[in-house]
Amino acid sequence: MDLMGDLKALGLLVRWDLTRMWRRRMFIAMRVIWFTVQVSVFGLALSAMVRFRGVVAHSIDYYHFYLFGVYTSMLFSISVSNAYEVAEEFEEGIIEYHLSLPIKRSILSTGRALGGGIAAFIFTLPMYAIVLTLLGWGSPLALFASLIAALIFSVGVVGLVLSIVLSVKSGDATDILFGIIDAIIIRLSTIFYPAVVLAKIAPYYYAALANPISHFVDLLRTLFFFEEYKILAVTDPLLMGCYLLGFAAGLVSTAIYIVERKLEGGGWR
Amino acid sequence: MEVRDQVRGCLLIAYRDLLRFWKFKHWLFSQIVMNLADVVIFALVFNNIVNRQYIPDYVKFMSTGVLAVSVFASSFSIAREVGAEIRREVVQYLLTLPTSRNAVIAGRIIGGTLRGLIYQTAFIALNLAVVGIPSPKQSVIILYTSFMLAAAMSALAIAITTSTRDFNLQATFRALTYYMLFFFSNVFYPREVLALRFPGALATIVTHTPISLAAEVYRWSFGYSEYINPTALYELTLWAFTLLVTASLLYRRNISGR
Repeated sequence: MDLMGDLKALGLLVRWDLTRMWRRRMFIAMRVIWFTVQVSVFGLALSAMVRFRGVVAHSIDYYHFYLFGVYTSMLFSISVSNAYEVAEEFEEGIIEYHLSLPIKRSILSTGRALGGGIAAFIFTLPMYAIVLTLLGWGSPLALFASLIAALIFSVGVVGLVLSIVLSVKSGDATDILFGIIDAIIIRLSTIFYPAVVLAKIAPYYYAALANPISHFVDLLRTLFFFEEYKILAVTDPLLMGCYLLGFAAGLVSTAIYIVERKLEGGGWR
Repeated sequence: MEVRDQVRGCLLIAYRDLLRFWKFKHWLFSQIVMNLADVVIFALVFNNIVNRQYIPDYVKFMSTGVLAVSVFASSFSIAREVGAEIRREVVQYLLTLPTSRNAVIAGRIIGGTLRGLIYQTAFIALNLAVVGIPSPKQSVIILYTSFMLAAAMSALAIAITTSTRDFNLQATFRALTYYMLFFFSNVFYPREVLALRFPGALATIVTHTPISLAAEVYRWSFGYSEYINPTALYELTLWAFTLLVTASLLYRRNISGR
């Protein structure tokens, strides 16, 4: 198949994921309510009881810190929710149908990762607009860079989701793995607390340093409020950007490998 | 039908619900991990940035709060099954059983309550290790509180889930209940903090919700706080009975198709 054919197939796969997301209106409504409660109740209450000490003390408003965190956890959770969709497709035989299409396996996995990532990204845009309205919109360059970073991050998370679900081939294992991933990875990141606070517990600190969520959320913070957050971020903004790019490329490549080598032959449990 | 047969039918339904609880071991495992992560990761780290004037020890504060969360999560597990029964018309089978509807309803609620109590055991142990050891009188109060909360939450979950046959709506209603009950409670933050951010009346209302009342009783019983609202147990009992009666009537209406 030529390049044009590949691109057309890629476009169709992305459209498939976008249409699927649009059909999940109730899920979307639920997430919007969750986001509203997080921003208007949970975040406000947490910020009232936080008192930064030491290096973190200088003019950091916890509510501002938390707003980027809540957007990141929303983008992560929506991207992860693709796992349950893929598991359902497996049970309904749609995965086998996709494998039977005249589309290269590499295009199939790239298209699904891109489609899922773009769908999650588009879905969370209104929430991002609310966060930026509360924080201030910043420079156009920061806004553009943050949107690109968000897209790369969500594509990477969907790549991770595809790699895991298509490897374990089990509804129960998917349920348990993503329950745990959602519970642990978000808490072991800099969503709720800065890296310097995590540093008081070494295993948590190193887990947060390796966690792509920490890199994404701290990149957002430094893009918009560089002076305030430069010493609190897990690392330099450029390195965080590179980390995200590597994360997305690595996991989409892993998904391609799994679809090409391990997927055929059924075996769904 | 004799009362003895009714009781037997009710207990049999509760027993079968309890046996089915172990089928959800994967779901249970991820729930336990999530509840534990709130204490051993979130609370432990957050303890370093919390204002000690409001919360001297956030780990202990959250450990006792998670007790209320755990009862809620496991009691709501019965709602997933009852919701599936409504969607798949299994409810018609339940209605043909040689027992009254009241026995079916009571059996389901007892089943949900027992699930809540069993699930909570691990978190009771966590509190014994982290917060403190209650006196015999306080232990009885903890057991009573858990029983009331689990019964109320099971009944509420069953009534909410059976109000619609749509799977997405069922999940949405359950999630909404969780958000409203927990974010508007003193599980994550004390009343003083809520009073700082929200109107005084709202902060007062929040402290009188069943989850907040249960969390307050747990905090006092395990020795985290010295003060307890003297009417907390009465209020919780009133909540539990109101929810049990209302939810039972709703469930009865929902399964009867009227």
